[in-house]
Amino acid sequence: MAPLLTMEARDAHPQTADRVAGSPTAGPPSQAGGGRLLSAGELGGIVLLTLRVASIATAAAFPPALALGWWLARRDPPARPLWQALIALPMVLPPVAIGLLLLLLLGRRGPLAALWDALGVEIVFTWWAAALAAAVVGFPLLVRGCEQAFAEVSPRYEAVAASLGLTPLRAFWRVTLPMARRGVLYASLLAFTRALGEFGATALVAGILPGRTETLALGIWARVQAGDDRAALLLCAVSFALALAAMLLAEGWLRRRRP
Amino acid sequence: MSGPPTQIDVELRRPGFALEVSAGWHARVAVLFGPSGSGKSTLLECVLGLAPRARARVRLAGEWLEDPARGLRLPPHRRGLGWLPQDPTLFPHLRVAANLAFGRRRAGAEGARWLARAVEVLEIGELLERRVDELSGGERQRVALARALASGPRALLLDEPLSQLDLALRARVLPHLLRVRDELGLPMLVITHDPDEALLLGELVLVLDRGRVVAQGPPREVLWSQAVLPLAESLGLENVFEGVACGAAGEGRVETAQGLRLVVSGSLVPGERVRLGLRAEDVLLALGPPGRLSARNVWPARVVACETRGSDVWVHLDAGEKLMAKLTPAAVQELGLGPGTALHAVVKAQSLRRLG
Repeated sequence: MAPLLTMEARDAHPQTADRVAGSPTAGPPSQAGGGRLLSAGELGGIVLLTLRVASIATAAAFPPALALGWWLARRDPPARPLWQALIALPMVLPPVAIGLLLLLLLGRRGPLAALWDALGVEIVFTWWAAALAAAVVGFPLLVRGCEQAFAEVSPRYEAVAASLGLTPLRAFWRVTLPMARRGVLYASLLAFTRALGEFGATALVAGILPGRTETLALGIWARVQAGDDRAALLLCAVSFALALAAMLLAEGWLRRRRP
Repeated sequence: MSGPPTQIDVELRRPGFALEVSAGWHARVAVLFGPSGSGKSTLLECVLGLAPRARARVRLAGEWLEDPARGLRLPPHRRGLGWLPQDPTLFPHLRVAANLAFGRRRAGAEGARWLARAVEVLEIGELLERRVDELSGGERQRVALARALASGPRALLLDEPLSQLDLALRARVLPHLLRVRDELGLPMLVITHDPDEALLLGELVLVLDRGRVVAQGPPREVLWSQAVLPLAESLGLENVFEGVACGAAGEGRVETAQGLRLVVSGSLVPGERVRLGLRAEDVLLALGPPGRLSARNVWPARVVACETRGSDVWVHLDAGEKLMAKLTPAAVQELGLGPGTALHAVVKAQSLRRLG
């Protein structure tokens, strides 16, 4: 397993790989104590990529989270606490561990490598990998939020909908989901903001490839590593603004729709 | 009065409660009557298919909904029943019109007609654009009933349609309920714990107590039967009279089939059939003929039985019609009441409430 990590990681983590390889003095290519600020194009690229990764991650996690949340809230499955604990794992495990497992599953040397080759799919070290890592880490938040939102809707409404001739699926779309929309939206927002800031898992499976997989969090890390503090702080400020804007938008929406 | 057969056999066990019912009838409108906790709502849920653990065999107005012998168990959304739950359960995220449109798909081509009819009968045309949280209790009840009707149901199941309403509202919703019963011709199963309502609504009454049917039959017979007497207190059983109004200026007069004459406040149209309710605690008893009283009703009566329940004594009387009075034990003792005692029952005109 060790070679798998270092050999793959070497491609995408030049600085880290160098250190792992035992050359701690090998510095980054930028000027020592330098103050090269990002160009507008670079900054825009990072922000857009971050938003794209977080949006796709949330959208991908949404359908299965909705289904699982409903199942936990309504079907009262046996061993529910066990299911809940299992689903919460990606949230409580170290993100780097999640990243490692994903790398193992998706990598060119992992057990599924033949499958990926056959399909011609190359996920690792692309922004798709970043989106996948963010989706996995945000998934538990989404499931838990949906479960709670559905649990707050009395099953009686679904029973009435059934008596009016609605199939369980139609009752879900027309009654349960609209009534739970505030909780579901809030859970989605939490998962989205979690995805915005995802670092550990993303760094392992997507690498830090400027222009290709460099999200805000990865960009900050890379610049701190490079000793480029001003650029790192600028990206920090942008992250701050982005997260604040997302929260404000959602809070405003929730307030507007308050019955 | 005879219609397609209904058969309901249900067995359901829950911790601390068992429902075991086997009943059949041909009446179009049946009333489930009994104290709270007797299993009325649970029985309704079994008919609706909402109690997955119940062993049930259900045929409603000729249509089989569930029959284990044939492996038949229609899911709730295919039973075609209009349900009015005890709490109206309107969808809070939708306006009244959208709530009413919910059953449109099932009602199919007939939907528009059903909807128009429901809106007209229940007089809710002006509420259509309202939000659900802007409706009063009585309006909610009517909208929920209209929603059930607009789905084009094969039968109506009403769970305490009036109990959530105060007296004034009840008086406003009741006529709508009677119109639904009389004009739409649907089979109905109505839950109530109010004897007035049971008498008023049903052709047939099933009395439930602790998960079992303890009496079944025409309302007037069943509600006074021995099976129901022990339930009297928990039901708040009242006196109900049925009669025909006869002409009189200033005061309404009603004569029952047994010849008892009642004086009520307000005028009545001569010849019209009326039902009057009277609470047992509003009946005064006097030994010997009382003179110079303001009360308009003084009926000679005879004590049939005295029954002590809690801190009250229920005095069963025969005044031509059966009559129930509620007294304190001290009053019963002082008057020396016992079976056979002849006396007069005294009732104010205002105490006789018009039920329909």
